[in-house]
Amino acid sequence: MSKPWRGVLYAVLLIAALYYLLPLYVMLSTSLKTMDEIRAGNLLSLPGAISFDAWHKAWGTACTGIECSGLSGYFWNSVRMVIPAVLISTALGALNGYVLSKWRFRGSELAFAMLLFGLYIPFQVLLLPMAQTLGWFGLARSMAGLVFVHVVCGIAGTTLFFRNFYVGIPDELIKAARLDGAGFWRIFLRIVLPMSLPILMVTLIWQFTQIWNDFLFGLVFSSGESQPITVGLNNLANTSTSVKEYNVNMAAALIAALPTIAVYVLAGKYFVRGLAAGAVKG
Amino acid sequence: MGALAIKNVTKRFGDTHILKGIDIHVDSGEFLILVGPSGCGKSTLMNIIAGLESPSGGEVHIADRIVNDVAPKDRDIAMVFQSYALYPTMNVRQNIAFGLETRGVPKKEQDEVIARVAKMLQMDHLLDRKPGQLSGGQRQRVAMGRALARNPKLFLFDEPLSNLDAKLRVEMRTEIKQLHHRLKTTIVYVTHDQIEAMTLGDKIAVMKDGVIQQFGSPQQIYDTPANLFVAGFIGSPSMNFIPAHLASEGGVIGVSLQSGDAACFAPLLDSQRYAAYVGKRVIVGVRPEQWDLAADGGGLACKINLTEPTGPDTIVFTQINGIEVQARLHPRDARSPGSVLHLRPDMSKAVLFDPETEIRIG
Repeated sequence: MSKPWRGVLYAVLLIAALYYLLPLYVMLSTSLKTMDEIRAGNLLSLPGAISFDAWHKAWGTACTGIECSGLSGYFWNSVRMVIPAVLISTALGALNGYVLSKWRFRGSELAFAMLLFGLYIPFQVLLLPMAQTLGWFGLARSMAGLVFVHVVCGIAGTTLFFRNFYVGIPDELIKAARLDGAGFWRIFLRIVLPMSLPILMVTLIWQFTQIWNDFLFGLVFSSGESQPITVGLNNLANTSTSVKEYNVNMAAALIAALPTIAVYVLAGKYFVRGLAAGAVKG
Repeated sequence: MGALAIKNVTKRFGDTHILKGIDIHVDSGEFLILVGPSGCGKSTLMNIIAGLESPSGGEVHIADRIVNDVAPKDRDIAMVFQSYALYPTMNVRQNIAFGLETRGVPKKEQDEVIARVAKMLQMDHLLDRKPGQLSGGQRQRVAMGRALARNPKLFLFDEPLSNLDAKLRVEMRTEIKQLHHRLKTTIVYVTHDQIEAMTLGDKIAVMKDGVIQQFGSPQQIYDTPANLFVAGFIGSPSMNFIPAHLASEGGVIGVSLQSGDAACFAPLLDSQRYAAYVGKRVIVGVRPEQWDLAADGGGLACKINLTEPTGPDTIVFTQINGIEVQARLHPRDARSPGSVLHLRPDMSKAVLFDPETEIRIG
């Protein structure tokens, strides 16, 4: 490519990057301003004096309804929800994918097709039957219930990821391991799983983002002390006092978004690599 | 003692019959080749021997024990795969140790086995590498090492050389043969390469469409192929199949050959066994190397259409009885295209086939 064209390309990329970074910048700078400065200054200006008051308030003392103890409780709720939900749904997806690609049985293709169908069911449809099911299990309005919902709804996607990845692993490898005397679990744990790092990262990141950012299930299937951060953020922003505290709202939104941003920054390269690996083989 | 016996083994998927009654018997220490074109069922048969697939009918015996219901790991076999099937996340040492580990071999004994195998295959320096860091030939060697570590009663090789380049393939072929001489273990070896089949095998089973076309020593199969398929499959360049009438001239039975305007009568040796076919159409099989230059000016005057020098020999192409015929000549005897050579088939080695049944006559 000739030099001037390369320049144009970089310019376009830079503009696109700025366009997408702008909201983040506005959120960050607003969260570091005082209310006076927000009322006086313009949206894009840098904060005059950096103040973490809004962050402290969003974390610890902002009102979310009648209670005024910030987002901290909701944040830890989300952590307690997301870790088991991500790990269980990923583990089940890996196991399903392993069975559906390497231990096919009569009807396994049908089972896979039905699982895929699960990807296309809008979650709103599930709300009432799921509420009923949780009631039967005695899990209604509990953290365990919320984890259960996320695991069930995540399995279709995680199974698809792993199954398509494992289809690319040669069957001869499994045959060799069987001749070596390894059984179902040993082959999975010693041979297949160590090869799964790229797709494992993709699935973990994907599930983490999905579950952390979920609002619908959090709103419907949890209450009080088990509500996740998305619900907390909504409550915080909707609790009306005389003034709208933009800096607190922005800080709260950033607190809610921080874990997913961190995951992408730390593990983003695995995500791209894993998706590419799947694309070539699947 | 019988190392491997396959008795009337069949395999079908729904209405598709992959194997239609296979019978094979191999003695201990023999090198058996299963050879045939893709889709002939040889790999399925191999998987059945290994226990990775179960037969629809029939029995598999390994070391005089029926193993139909024995799991692959308990059959006392080891297998080398076409793709080598090395575990990519383990280094060479771990790859070899894996099978020993699952069988509960103590660590100290594992190390001894690894050392023995590494020495035998000269791969001590590779032990700490991952398969991804090895060349094709080295991977092949490791795959064989993994199989050797087990010290099994039966080795199975599933097209082990087909992923290697031509030069390496020849080297590894020799190495496998030397290994067999040294270990004297029974080997079953699947290939689609007829040269591998000829060079390695003590016995060859030529397969097609799920049926064993012929089972015998390489020389038997080369000299007296059971049918047209075997005759055409084994040998390179292929045997020439010349359509001809079987005639009797003055009490001698033979065939008449024609090339352009020239014609000759080629008498068959020991010809009374063909008496029933006199006056009928037959197919005469003459291998390319079974043509001699008729120095006396006899034989059949053939116009050369094309030559292919291979170095040690030159293949000349001509037309006999309406079909293209290849003859392998010493380069000194070959002539350039357009000239005429007097060729004479060695009828003592010629084989005759019935054009209807495609089976060898006599």
